[in-house]
Formats: sequence, structure tokens, C-alpha cells
Amino acid sequence: MRSPRLSVRARLALWHAGVLMLIVCVFSGAILLFVRASLFEGVDRQLRRALTTIDWVYHHEPEEIGDLAAESGITLFQVIADRKSPYHTEGWERAGLSGAVPNRSAMPPTSWFSPDGRWYRVQAVIEPSYTIAAAVEEGARRDSFWTLATILAMGAPFAVGLAIVGGYFLAGRVLSPVGMMADKAREITAESLGERLPVGNPRDEFGRLATVFNDTLSRLHDSFDRLRQFTADASHELRTPLTAMRSVGEVALQAPLDPGKYREVIGSMLEEVDRLTRLVDSLLLLTHAESGSARPVREVVELAALADNVAEHLRVLAEEKQQSLNVQGAVRVDAVCDPDILRLGLMNLLHNAIKYTPNGGAIHVRTKTTSIGLPSIEVQDTGPGIPAAHQARIFERFYRADPGRGSDSGGAGLGLAIARWAVVANGGHIELESEESKGSLFRIVLPGDNDALPSTSGKRT
Amino acid sequence: MRILVIEDEKKVAKALREGLEAERYEVRVAADGEGGFLQASRDSFDLVLLDLVLPGRDGIDVLTALRERKVTTPVFVLTARDAVEDRVRGLDGGADDYLVKPFTFPELLARIRALLRRGRLDPTRKLQHDDLRMDLGARKVTRRDQSLELTGKEFEILECLLRHRGRIVSRELLAREVWHVGARATPLDNVIDVTMVRLRRKIDDPFEKKLLHTVRGVGFFLGARPE
Repeated sequence: MRSPRLSVRARLALWHAGVLMLIVCVFSGAILLFVRASLFEGVDRQLRRALTTIDWVYHHEPEEIGDLAAESGITLFQVIADRKSPYHTEGWERAGLSGAVPNRSAMPPTSWFSPDGRWYRVQAVIEPSYTIAAAVEEGARRDSFWTLATILAMGAPFAVGLAIVGGYFLAGRVLSPVGMMADKAREITAESLGERLPVGNPRDEFGRLATVFNDTLSRLHDSFDRLRQFTADASHELRTPLTAMRSVGEVALQAPLDPGKYREVIGSMLEEVDRLTRLVDSLLLLTHAESGSARPVREVVELAALADNVAEHLRVLAEEKQQSLNVQGAVRVDAVCDPDILRLGLMNLLHNAIKYTPNGGAIHVRTKTTSIGLPSIEVQDTGPGIPAAHQARIFERFYRADPGRGSDSGGAGLGLAIARWAVVANGGHIELESEESKGSLFRIVLPGDNDALPSTSGKRT
Repeated sequence: MRILVIEDEKKVAKALREGLEAERYEVRVAADGEGGFLQASRDSFDLVLLDLVLPGRDGIDVLTALRERKVTTPVFVLTARDAVEDRVRGLDGGADDYLVKPFTFPELLARIRALLRRGRLDPTRKLQHDDLRMDLGARKVTRRDQSLELTGKEFEILECLLRHRGRIVSRELLAREVWHVGARATPLDNVIDVTMVRLRRKIDDPFEKKLLHTVRGVGFFLGARPE
């Protein structure tokens, strides 16, 4: 019954039938016991009445005893007196009941199988000078008892069989949504991830299962879409420098050039190689980050010092565009994080701000604690801002708010993805507040000391 | 100076051989781990350039075997695997330095020179090229006896260029030596270019003879233009 090879449906049906069989057996047994007891009670009452009648007649009108069989219908009895020869009815002799009653002793009501092939109920009582024994044929009652027993015994397997069939059918009906879901799920492949399982009643067990499965499918669909988009973007970005290299090289080989020209051509090709290398490096960094193999080594970092350091690195770029670059921090703010990774993130954010802010703009870097006491670094620019539609996706790899702004302005659209990774790897997150034509504010929010400390030591092996 | 190159990629091996021979090194090339190991343990070299991914015998394996045999030749590891574990394993196994492919040739040369020079103190406190002089102690730079005002980074870049004068200095080397940034996925290249433009304004623009040159796609160098 517990064989794991049986289907859930069959197991349910068998369990169902098993329990039903147990119930039927117990119930039938109880009925039989009860019926049997009440049947014998009737017979015994009849016997008792007969004995009383015989006793009275024998005591008061002994000569009438021979007429008892004819008058009262008591056909099976015998009377044994001390000094007289025993008296018994004709039927008593015929049924061979003499052997059933021991001489001159009392006997409780007892069932007895006579040599003539019938069942009798026999009882004997002792009076001071005589004993009386009487018997009643059980036949009809015993037959009806056995008929009942036979009916029950034959009905039980039938009921159990019915229970198996019915249980199997019912289990099949109940489980059919599972089968349908399985069939549907099997049809859903990478190409048809948009399809969903049918949800019958969203509040029952199967509905919940289907809903959960559909949610999983949605997430899978999203990540497939993102992967597809990423692959398309990545191959585009990889192909661009390759195309440039190939065409520059091929054109150069069309006609002999002077050495200076060749230098130009090779230099141009090497620039593309540089671009490819940077792209691959960035992608590798993000891949390592996603697979979790780049583990941050956390220590206490003073954010203002780190912001100063990064700003000094990039200040020349702002100066070239006559932008003012200010680092402000009223109070000392410490964070527990990996300084190298955070520096990389902030550098990308700041570089992004300088790149998109027009000449003469202003960029502010502020270190402060947020309203709920978390250490944060804000990078605010007076650039064009990011339309709300793009804000959610701006941190995705290769995503550009303005597709026209290609790699001419530098980079392949990985800077913000790297920045976000750097902050998330440190247990924080980046918030973005931006309004078109009013500039953007990127806020790095890092975890408080207590959140970060448990995982500070022994991470890098 | 004899250098053993253990590299199975034929094009890379050929480029390394030619590039190093042009720098007047004597170069032997082994195309697999086993051959490289035999040559390195049998002959004496001043430096071994070791690729980590090799047919037959893995580079790390070759390196550990060499160190077990007490071969103390400096080993420079080249690896295409950009995994931290690999680097750590390489240096633990006894490598003296490593570069991740694709590397720039000037960077490789600079590192090789540094490795071969290692142990010898560099007492130079004054650097000079043509009429450009740098006093490291006083942190002063003059050209044709005119004092030049340089910012910290400009000074350090110029020092790096003077130390490698006549040779190309890559952006990567500058990022590492001047900005102390090892990771390459940083937006530092723009910063280097801008700083270089400003440095050139100060040391070259007022003078007729130009000293600082850009080699497109490779890097910068200080010296006479090779034309």
C-alpha cells in the first residue's frame, strides 16, 4: 500500500478503501453480536415460559400433562419424578433430546445439535421431587442469523470494491488540476515563457500552487528577457570595436602607405583593442560580482576622506569642463565597508555626473547620515536629469537613458551597473532622485555599523 | 639577459620573442609546460615568462615543480584568467609578478625591467632628459633653467616618464604607479589623458623642442620622436 511506485491517485483510493473496510468490519461484527444476543434472548424467554407452564401443570394436574403438547403447543419436554417412570413427549423422543440433558441435574439454556441434524435450545430445572427439561427448535432464528451474517460478509467486499473504484474516481477528479498543470507546464519552454498555468480558484490549494508557479514563471521570464537584452547589447558593444578594427585594417592594406600612416592605422586599431579590453574587464568584474566570487573585505571607512580622494582623482575632468566640484561633509561619517569596492563605485558615479553635466555646471558630493541614521554619500549634478521612465533601468548593464548618446561620450554603459554592484556588495543601495532638466541626485546608502559588523572578518580566503 | 618564454599561443609567443629581442634580450620559447619545465630547470635564465594555461602541464604545476627543485629564477606569470584565486595561487606558488592578458607590451617591459632590477637600490635623486631636470629631493622641475610649477600628479607622471625615458609608458602603468589603482574597470583613462594634456602644456608648449609624445593606442613616452 505504501509502495512509492503507486500514483498518488491509487494510494488515495487504497487508503480510502482500507479505512472503509475497517469501518464495515467493525460495524458488521457489532450488528451480528447484537442480533445474536437478541435472538437467543427471545428463545430463552420462550423456554422459561414453557418450563413454568409444565411445572404448574405437573404440580396441580399431573394427569393433564399428556395434553400439554396439544393444548399449549409445548411439544418438546420431559418430566422425571422420583418414584414414577419418566414422562416425555413424542417429539422429545424423536429428536433424540434425551442425550442432551444429564439425569437429575439443572442445566442453563444451551444450544444443542441433535443427531437429526437440527439445532435446539435446551434447559432443565430441578424441583424438590422431580426435574423438568424443555427444548425449543432454533432452526428459523439460527437461519435468519446466518442469512444476515452471509449478507454482511458478502456485502463488505462489494462495498470495499465500490470504495476503491469510487475513491479512485474521486481522487482522479480532485487531482486532475495537478495533471493539467503538469501538462501545461511541460508545454512551457524558453520560447513560450509568456504563457501561464490556468488558475481555477485562486484561494484553494491548487489555485495557490498555480499562482506560485506563475509567479516563478514571471520572474524566469523577466530574467530571460534581461539575459536576451544583455546578450544583444553585449554583442553589439563587442562588435563595434571589432568592426572598426577590421575596416581600418582592411582600408590600410588597400594601397601602400608611408610609415607614418601605418603608425596611425595601428594606433587606431590599438585604441579599439583598448576599448574592447576595458569592456571585457568591466563585464568580467560584473560577472564575478554576480557569481559572488568578489568578496568585500570590510573595515571602518571615513566617508569624507574617501569622497575627497575620489574627487581629487577626477577633479581634472571637472576642471576641463569648467565645472565646480565640491565635497562637503559637516560631521564625520563612518561606514563599515570595503574601501576599494566603494571607491570604485563612487568613482563611477562621479564620473557619470561629470560626463553628463554640461560645461560650467556644478557637482556636489556630500557625506552625511540619512534621517534614519545610515551613512550615505550623495552625488548631485546639474545635468539634464533622467526621465522617470528610465530611472528604474538606469543601473542595468548597457542601459542608456539617451540611446543617441553612444560611446562617444565614453564608456559602454556599464559605469552605473558597476556603481550599483559596488554599493550592493557592501550591503547598501543606491537611491536616485532626478527630474528632467533639473539634474540628478544619486545617494549611496550604506548599512549601519551593527548591520555590517557580523560579516567583517575572515571573508577572503 | 636571457629570458625563457613558456607560451603555447603561437602568435603571442612570436610577438613576445620579437618584442623582447628588440629590447636586446636573448629569448628562448617553449610551447608547452613539459618542455618549458625541462629548459627552465636545465639551462640558466634571468627570467621566465610563464603562461598559466598550457597544454600537457599546467603553468602553476610547472611553477611549483621549479620551486621544489630550488630553481630561483624570477618567474613572471601571464594569465588570461582574471580570477583572484588564480593570482593568489600564482604568487603563493612562487611567482614574482603577474600580468593579466591582454596586457600592453610597454607594461610588460616595464615590469620585466623592474623585476630584473630588483634587489639593486636605485639611489637616483635627480633625473634628467635633454634640458628637462627633476630634483626628487626638492620636488623641483626645471626646463632650460626655468622653474616649472607642477601639481602632485603631474610631478609623479613626469617622474615615471623620466625613469622610463625613451620607452613607452602605458596608461595602465601610470594608473598603477601614480594613482595606485590596480583594477582596470575604472574611468581613470580620461583622467590620465587630461592630466597628460596639462603636463604637456607646462613642459612642452612654451618650448620649441617637444619632449612628451603620445603613441596612439599604446601610451606616452619622453624623448626624441622615433620617425
